[in-house]
Parts: sequence; C-alpha cells; structure tokens
Amino acid sequence: MSDRVQTPEGGTPIVGDDPVYLNDPIQDATVRMLLELAAQVWVERERRLTLEALLEKKGIVAHDEIERHTPDTVLAARLKDERARFLEDVFKELRRVPLNQ
Amino acid sequence: MSTTPETLPPLARRSDAAYLDFVEGLREFILGKGADFEERLNSALEQTSASRGRPWGDVEEIREFVHSLPIGRLRDRLARSQQEMKWHAIERSFDEQRTQLTAELAKWDERGPGRLLLDPTFEHPAYTNVHFHLQPGGYYKDELSGFLYHYGTKVFFRGDNDKDELHAKLVGTVPAPTDGKVHRILDLACSIGQSSTAFRRRYPEAEVWGIDHSAPMLRVAHRRAAMQGDAVNFAQRLVEKTGFPDAHFDITFAFILFHELPLRIIHDTVREAARVTRRGGIFAIYDFTGTEGKSPYQRYHRWFDARHNGEPYSQDFCDCRLGDILTANGFEVAAAPLAKRAGGTGYMQHWFATRV
Ligand SMILES: C[S@@+](CC[C@H](N)C(=O)[O-])C[C@H]1O[C@@H](n2cnc3c(N)ncnc32)[C@H](O)[C@@H]1O
Repeated sequence: MSDRVQTPEGGTPIVGDDPVYLNDPIQDATVRMLLELAAQVWVERERRLTLEALLEKKGIVAHDEIERHTPDTVLAARLKDERARFLEDVFKELRRVPLNQ
Repeated sequence: MSTTPETLPPLARRSDAAYLDFVEGLREFILGKGADFEERLNSALEQTSASRGRPWGDVEEIREFVHSLPIGRLRDRLARSQQEMKWHAIERSFDEQRTQLTAELAKWDERGPGRLLLDPTFEHPAYTNVHFHLQPGGYYKDELSGFLYHYGTKVFFRGDNDKDELHAKLVGTVPAPTDGKVHRILDLACSIGQSSTAFRRRYPEAEVWGIDHSAPMLRVAHRRAAMQGDAVNFAQRLVEKTGFPDAHFDITFAFILFHELPLRIIHDTVREAARVTRRGGIFAIYDFTGTEGKSPYQRYHRWFDARHNGEPYSQDFCDCRLGDILTANGFEVAAAPLAKRAGGTGYMQHWFATRV
C-alpha cells in the first residue's frame, strides 16, 4: 500500500493520499473511473430529463428536432469545453496511478 | 417562523448538484442494503470465528481477514471513492465562486444579531491539523472551509438535515437542569453553529455561545445565525481552554466533537467543561458509540474510518470510557441509548451528565 503516515498526535496513522485497495493500482483506477462515469451518466440524464420536460411543457421543441440539430460554431466550441471537463472528471484517475507501487 | 432563509450557498452549476445527488445515492447504496456489504462481511467474519472456535482478537486480525476477501477490498475502494467524489465536486463548485463567497462572508462579519469574535493571533494546536473525513484543507485552512463543511454534511446526512432538523431534535432532547434555570449555554466546537442556533430557539432568553478553533467555520456560523435572526455569539477558542469564568454555564454541549480529539485533549476538555458548568448544570454529549459489544464488522469499520476516512483519534475515543472520565471529573452521568438516529442506526449515543 502506498501509505504515508500522517497523524499529528497519536491515534490511528492515517493512510496516504491515494491508497491502493485492490490487487494493483490499475484496478483501483478502473473502479474510480467507473464510478465517475456512472456519476456523469446520471448528471446527463438528470439534465436531459429536466430539459425535455421544460421544452415539452412550453411546447417549444419536438423530440425529433433535437435528433436532427447541428450545432453552430458557438455551441460547437462550448461542447468541446464541456467534453474536456467530462474527460477530466472521469480520467483524472489515470494521473493517480503511481509509477511504481 | 414561516420561511427560514437558505444559508447554504447554491452550487455553481446544476450539474454539480446532480453529481452530488448521485454521490448521496451511491453512499447509501454502498453503506446500506444496496450492496449489502455489512451483513455479508459480518456473517463471513462470524462464521470464521465460529469454525475456529474462538472470537476475533484485535482489530488487526479482523482487518487481515477482511482484506483477504476481494469483496472486502472492493468495499473499501468504494467507501473511499464516494467520500473523495463528494469533496471533489463541492470543492470545485465553491472554488468557482470563491470571489463572491469570500465577499459574502465579509459582508456579514460585522452584522448582527450576535457577535463574531475572531482572534488574529490564534495558533492552531498541531493535533487539529488533520483533514477530518477527507475534507480538503481540513477545518480551518481554506477560508471557505465552513461552506465546504456545510455542503459535505448535507450529503452525509442524506437529506435528513437540510433544514437542520437533526440538530433541532438533538438539542430538543437535552434535559434542562432540575432547577429549570437556563441563562447561559455553551456549544463546544460549534462548527457552523447549527446546534447553537437550535439552543437559542429553544431558550430565546438565554445567552448562547458557540466556540470553535476554526475561523472559517465561525464566520459561516455567524453569517448563518445572523441571516436567520438568531442572536448567538461565536468566538474562536479551544474547547480545552475556553477562557470563560468558573461555573458560568447552565448547559454545556458537545455534538460529535470528542471522537476528533486526542485522548489527552478529551481529558482536558472534560475537565474544562466541569470548570465552566455550574453545579446542577448539564453537560450533554452526543458522539460515537463505544467499541464494547460491537460486531466484528463494526469494529473493522471503526478502524477503516480512522485510517481511511481521516478520523485518527476516533479509535482511541471509542475504546475509552467517556462515562468514567466524566465521573472522575465531577459529573454524574445518566444516559440511555437513543432509539433511532439519523445518518445510520447505531453509530451515536449520548451522555447526559450533571455537574455535582
Ligand atoms: C464534527 S464538527 C462538530 C459539529 C458541531 N458540534 C455541530 O453541532 O454540528 C468538529 C468541530 O470541532 C472543531 N474542533 C476540533 N478540535 C477543537 C478544539 N480543540 N477546540 C475548538 N474546536 C475544535 C473543528 O473545528 C470542527 O468545527
């Protein structure tokens, strides 16, 4: 375990920043990414359901229109930013895999 | 009071709230019946000790067994991750609003009702330098620590404390001194003051003091109380050295403080509480239940919480007999376990002690 002892005064020594629980750090990273991914899926679903409900309530957009929509340059740039944030959330875990365990 | 103003600042984005909503559900799933780790691991532990014909020895023996099972290690991975995910989302969301939130705190510092007494020369004892339950920066190193803590505990209590219901309930359960006199109340380690304001509402005539060593906590406590119109005084003091006169308080209170103190400071704090609580006054404590009579899994969980969830002093606290320490310092303890507590059953107990 990549334990770094940190306890200012007695007690149980606290584990270091990125403890490895599974057989190797890659397994830990995989589980972490899976959890992040699941969180992102939920975040998206929550937003989409909210949005669709609002659109429908206001009679603004038909589902079909969403399917066929092409983003303009502003939206395309925003989507790129969002994608970077999404990738960071899920795959930042890769940075935490130690070089050697 | 018809509407209480919302004192918890909104998150930067809707997606942050959805993310944290997910984490709240995940937490419940992992720690509760969803994944059913507790019951499965505990029965494995019990079967093994039965077939060996002897009870489990020290927690190290239990730990070795749990870690020999893939499911035990996976549980640990998931328990650690849900906590890290929570703080990651809260920290980022408040960090994006740092300028506004800092200004918001400054705006309330001087406003009443109630006073905020910070000590610019205050020195944090070394033992407080712990990132308890993995909160980034711990309790006092980020000026937004109080807001982080408020949101973090909101997720921790899984929606049961969104309107401070839990604090109101616990404060409401504290017995009054038998002579009925309640003029002054001290809330030890008040954090963001949720118990302090509950006391002020229960005893609107009483002078209520909330103390904590963390200035960021106290600033949020003061803002929250002032916004709600609750006249409570908040001061930056140590629980083991409060600076109040002898026999000053009718009720002294400590909610989930003691498990975050080293044993030495637990003794000092009880002694200090005995000094500032008047004869016939009440010292009411809510904290973790002791290790005695715990299932092997619960003993494992205590160790895990201590080592892997930033609670280094909790094991020693759970192993000590707080009742005996209270008695040795001039208190008479009368306590029965609470029937049902929020945040998971069976993890908290209370000590209602009278100063004799
Ligand atoms: C879990 S919180 C307490 C919750 C709070 N009592 C409530 O009613 O919600 C622990 C608090 O103890 C404070 N603390 C820890 N050691 C302390 C000490 N020696 N003196 C003063 N405050 C302390 C921390 O700053 C933190 O705010």
